[in-house]
Amino acid sequence: MKYFSINKEDWDRTLEQLMSSYLIFATVKNEFGIDYEELTAETIADISYNIPKPATPLKNFFLPVKENVTSDRDYIRKRIIIGVPNCDIEALKLLDEIYFDNDFPDIFYREKRENTVIISSDCFGIQEHCHCTSYGVKPWSESGADLAVVKKEGKIILRVISSRGNEFLSQLSLVNPLNDNKTVAEIEQEQLNTENLLKEKNSALPDYKSTGRLVNGAAEAVWKKYSSTCVSCGACTTICPTCTCFLLIDKEGFEKVKQLDACQYPGFARVAGGEDPLGELHRRFRNRYMCKYVWKPVKFSSIACTGCGRCIEACIGKINKNELFMELAG
Amino acid sequence: MTRPGNIYKPVKARLTDVIEESPLIKTFVLVPEEEFSFKTGQFIELSVDGIGEAPFTPSSSPLVTDTLEVTVMKTGYVTEYMHNLKPGSFMGIRGPFGRGYPVEKFLGKEVIILGGGCGLAPIRSLLYALEAVKDKLERVVLCYGSKTPADCIYKPLFSRLNSIDKFETYRTVDRADGEWTESVGVVTTLLNKITVNLKNSVAVVCGPPVMMKFGTIRLLEIGYKENDIYLSMEKNMSCGLGKCGHCMMGEYFVCKDGPVFTYDEIKDTPDIWK
Repeated sequence: MKYFSINKEDWDRTLEQLMSSYLIFATVKNEFGIDYEELTAETIADISYNIPKPATPLKNFFLPVKENVTSDRDYIRKRIIIGVPNCDIEALKLLDEIYFDNDFPDIFYREKRENTVIISSDCFGIQEHCHCTSYGVKPWSESGADLAVVKKEGKIILRVISSRGNEFLSQLSLVNPLNDNKTVAEIEQEQLNTENLLKEKNSALPDYKSTGRLVNGAAEAVWKKYSSTCVSCGACTTICPTCTCFLLIDKEGFEKVKQLDACQYPGFARVAGGEDPLGELHRRFRNRYMCKYVWKPVKFSSIACTGCGRCIEACIGKINKNELFMELAG
Repeated sequence: MTRPGNIYKPVKARLTDVIEESPLIKTFVLVPEEEFSFKTGQFIELSVDGIGEAPFTPSSSPLVTDTLEVTVMKTGYVTEYMHNLKPGSFMGIRGPFGRGYPVEKFLGKEVIILGGGCGLAPIRSLLYALEAVKDKLERVVLCYGSKTPADCIYKPLFSRLNSIDKFETYRTVDRADGEWTESVGVVTTLLNKITVNLKNSVAVVCGPPVMMKFGTIRLLEIGYKENDIYLSMEKNMSCGLGKCGHCMMGEYFVCKDGPVFTYDEIKDTPDIWK
């Protein structure tokens, strides 16, 4: 992979200059951890590099919670998003499959994607519920993003991932090719260290292939047990980087507003006659697992979980899906 | 039909007539403002301005492209608004969506159709499509069941079908009144009245979930192969695009992979009758 480097001060200045033509969002530390913020000239220095992981998923940039999908579209400003962990990049590949779908491409999604430069951030270190490696996801990006960033000894190192990333870099005058094998080797070692930490921490967790089998074969009693503290709030699906179910709400003038929905909400699958296959709490609860680990991989190229662990962090019922999986695995 | 570029935007259609089929069922005759065509068994999302939209399979002939008929049972929030609409008003249409009836696979065969209640709506469209190719069909048998004689829809359809060569119809009601001279009982009992040529027969079932379930069970008992039974599934098809997730039935998006499935395709899928 091609690497480029730029002095940190030059990088900060470059970002400031780019603000005239791009909206720039980046991961910034806050009182809860890190999350995406729209940068200003004053906050460029606050960007948090290589620390997992933003509290909110990347999907929010491409699939807003609420969006009018029939009115004339606003002029889209180009965006740069800095600091995206690879779990969210892998999730974006699934969103691309759904929304770029040849039969029914979503122009709203496409416009946002085409106008956004995504700069991934290698994760150096892990958080309590990170378990990407269990599902075959690495803590650094090699595809899906445009560039990847590493902050190292007063420098910003950029790894080129896509042609858009390459093109973007070619506009930046102070960026130079990195011809320093030692630095690259150190970055790769750091990547492997994180990968090993993740593997070690999650060694008892079944991998994605056996997870699907275990979920599919789980008895109703398991779903009832683990859903006993679920309040159907939908936090798990809202925070999930791959969950994209939505509702179309009608407004006057035959306008439609697309709003994020969740299979965890009562009535999600109810039909006009009153039948509701997901009427019972434990069935809705099970649906999320079946969808992610059993059904989505039949339809799309991967399971719909990238091991970010946010659903565990967000659950007010303190439901930990990994505990469920380990119980199933025996 | 969906506007090029925007999959979410409906096309307006003028309501030119409202036909009362039964106390709870009306047929809306629509003239779309843009060219519209569909394959029989495909569905559309029909909307009431500012209120909501719901999926319906057109009940008119797929060969007619200037008007479109949609038969709607008053059963919820959106359909109640629909029933209050008067000719002259406008509705919204998105679609057509999904996989309809594979009429080409029915050629050379006998087609046995089980319909229940408002499930006759998609079937009427199919019957028009079959009529157009009747020379290439062995036989078409319609078995239709409704709750009461008053709930029987498309009353003129039956005498017309009976006058067409190769077409037969049978009707039954759960509860008869004094004037009813046809069968009484569930729709599957009508299958006892006919002899089928299993080697060259396909069956189509469309109706309420419980009727679909017992209809399918009876067809299997008679000896139909699982891939010769065509089911028109009803789920909450909300976007029609295979995206919103509401109609997922196992790995299938009913809106995109269906709504017509063979029993063979979905027999191992959970909750198909719910």
